[in-house]
Amino acid sequence: METAQGIKLQRRSGTKVRLIFVMFVFLLAFFFVLDLFLGSVNIKPADVISSFFGNAGSDIRTIIMQFRLPKAVTSVFVGMALSLSGLQMQAIFRNPLAGPYVLGVSSGASLGVAIVILGFSGSVVTAGIGGFGNWILVVSAWVGAGMVMMLIMFISSRLSDIMTILILGIMLASGLSAIVTIMQYFSSESMLKAYVIWTMGSLGNLSSGQLKVLVISVSAGVLLSILTIKRLNAFLLGENYAGSMGMNVKSSRTIIFACTSILAGSVTAFCGPIGFIGIAVPHLVRNIFRTSDHAILVPGSILAGGIVMTVSDIISQLPGSERLLPINSVTSLIGIPVVIWIILRKRNNTAMF
Amino acid sequence: MCSKTAIPLFIVLSAFFISCINNKGVRLDELTVPAKNSFAHAERFTVHKKDSCTIVTIIDPWQGAEKVRQVYYLVERGKNAPQNAEASQIIYVPVRKIICMSSTHLAMVSALGEHRAISGISGTNYIFDDVLRSRADSGQIVEVGYDSEINDEVILKTDPDLIMMYGIGLESAGYVGKISELGVKIMFNADYLETDPLGKAEWIKVFGALFCKENLADSIFQAEVISYNSIKSSIEEGKFSRPSVLLGLPFRDTWFVSPGNSYISTIISDAGGKYLWGEYESSTSMPFSLEAVYMNSLNADYWLNAGNATSLADIAALEPRLTRLPCYTSGRIYNNTKRTSPGGGNDYWESGSLNPHIILKDIASILHPGLFREHELYYYKKLN
Repeated sequence: METAQGIKLQRRSGTKVRLIFVMFVFLLAFFFVLDLFLGSVNIKPADVISSFFGNAGSDIRTIIMQFRLPKAVTSVFVGMALSLSGLQMQAIFRNPLAGPYVLGVSSGASLGVAIVILGFSGSVVTAGIGGFGNWILVVSAWVGAGMVMMLIMFISSRLSDIMTILILGIMLASGLSAIVTIMQYFSSESMLKAYVIWTMGSLGNLSSGQLKVLVISVSAGVLLSILTIKRLNAFLLGENYAGSMGMNVKSSRTIIFACTSILAGSVTAFCGPIGFIGIAVPHLVRNIFRTSDHAILVPGSILAGGIVMTVSDIISQLPGSERLLPINSVTSLIGIPVVIWIILRKRNNTAMF
Repeated sequence: MCSKTAIPLFIVLSAFFISCINNKGVRLDELTVPAKNSFAHAERFTVHKKDSCTIVTIIDPWQGAEKVRQVYYLVERGKNAPQNAEASQIIYVPVRKIICMSSTHLAMVSALGEHRAISGISGTNYIFDDVLRSRADSGQIVEVGYDSEINDEVILKTDPDLIMMYGIGLESAGYVGKISELGVKIMFNADYLETDPLGKAEWIKVFGALFCKENLADSIFQAEVISYNSIKSSIEEGKFSRPSVLLGLPFRDTWFVSPGNSYISTIISDAGGKYLWGEYESSTSMPFSLEAVYMNSLNADYWLNAGNATSLADIAALEPRLTRLPCYTSGRIYNNTKRTSPGGGNDYWESGSLNPHIILKDIASILHPGLFREHELYYYKKLN
């Protein structure tokens, strides 16, 4: 088989793989720490360090412990979750354009949020932004994403053809977006602004309770992904082949869909639909390790996703300036050139699937 | 010798001619944009009489507009319009039916005693004024929609003499393009762009010209100027420290900070306060990171205009970290939501534009508790 040959020909040696993993861990740690040191407010590195030991002034301590640390942790987990779910979707659909949102998870979440922000009358709406807190957006996004996820899993358990599911997922997403567009059309400027800002994504808005929920659900998703590594490899060989190897295709698919929905759904609920990472990072990792073995790609995507996201967060803060860039634009703008470069450098991208 | 004197002479002569041409150019400009009279505060319009008509010029009527001039010729009914005026520029006065697209227009029309002329409003649910609201309930004032949803058919059926338009940007002109084509007169109102509080109130003069009640409009405005300035000077006389002020609420982790050259920051400064971002000049609000705003706000003595928050709990639910701010813990947060209607209309945005002296007095008595002891807060309330 062509794919099998591709794997064998390009594989890096075990030592090299281990070396790359060590480097990934180092980079993740480095950028995580850098994310704590750099921000809109200029804080001396010594003060950053001493704030962990309770020696810095209370204001600086608040900035580090309440603003930067939760944001850096969020970045790492968001990066992990999105790249992992992107990797899973690309494997299941055997399609390089698949990403975490291909099943309509983000469209479902967007609809949930749009109903809260755009759907009610003006007074309630601004309260949605300014009044009854940020849990309301999280819950509504989660409900929206969850409904879509259940629908897709229900369809997936009844249909055998994977391409039908892909098409249905895309149709569902487009349909939901159309509803959101209608709601946008009928909403006032302030509501529209609140909604558009949600779609731009944000990493620094999580309360400590929300961060706990995000960390727990992403960890659960990561654990489940590690358990399904073998199934992902089997999917790469084609569903018929996987079935003939004795794997229950439909149930495996449902487990992986559930896993992706937990990962992408919780990220979207807390941080908005953050784009690009989920599609780009798996390609990056495949090209760096030159393999399609998910035993390497899964941990690789977890680490690389965390790295790319923390770097994006640092850039979005425009260190030293009080202003901000929306995180969604940063992930796209720094990621697109990287992916284009990789794809042009290496012509046989299809060999990976 | 001769040539040596000729050259300077030539230069002097050419300079003279060039200056003549320039002078002429300036004079032409002055025709459309007359020099501001000494008491004028508004920067976005001018009104002046020429022959039998009143010429109203709206200057840069939307955010980001540069060198845009909209000239209107207000002609008394039955009289002849000037030859050079286009049909869309001619408004026959007094206006008998007007559609108001912004709540700030309502208070000004009502102040002139012309509330019966209001035949349509954008956002009837958000009216605060009791009289206007009951007129809307009984159908005497119709809802005309807003932005891309402006209901052309309702407007044509109402057959207004004028639509007082409010637009954030150039695209607003497109929303009314169709009705304008059908002969409905549209005037852009740029009062929301005035940075001087009295300049915003001065827009009543435009309404005065439209309803042929110039004298009434002038006297209302003059009274406003006197009360505003007397409050302002009584604050200046007192020797106070200037408490610093934080404004607004964040959207998720972004805080759109109002610039220092805004309407509200002028009032804060006049009220003897110091706006924390007073030195930042911008025509739009600036997206700052929550971290940076938090750090600066640690110095805030007072927190005003906190979005739609009606209680301290609202703010705590929105962003728990803000509860660490000293102005939060000391409970010095005030919002302009005291006078709101059940439908969500806020009088601060309605009559407030015409009464900046009340806003000034409210803020001054918040920032300097000993100053106006007898004054009860009108638009503002303390959040609990």
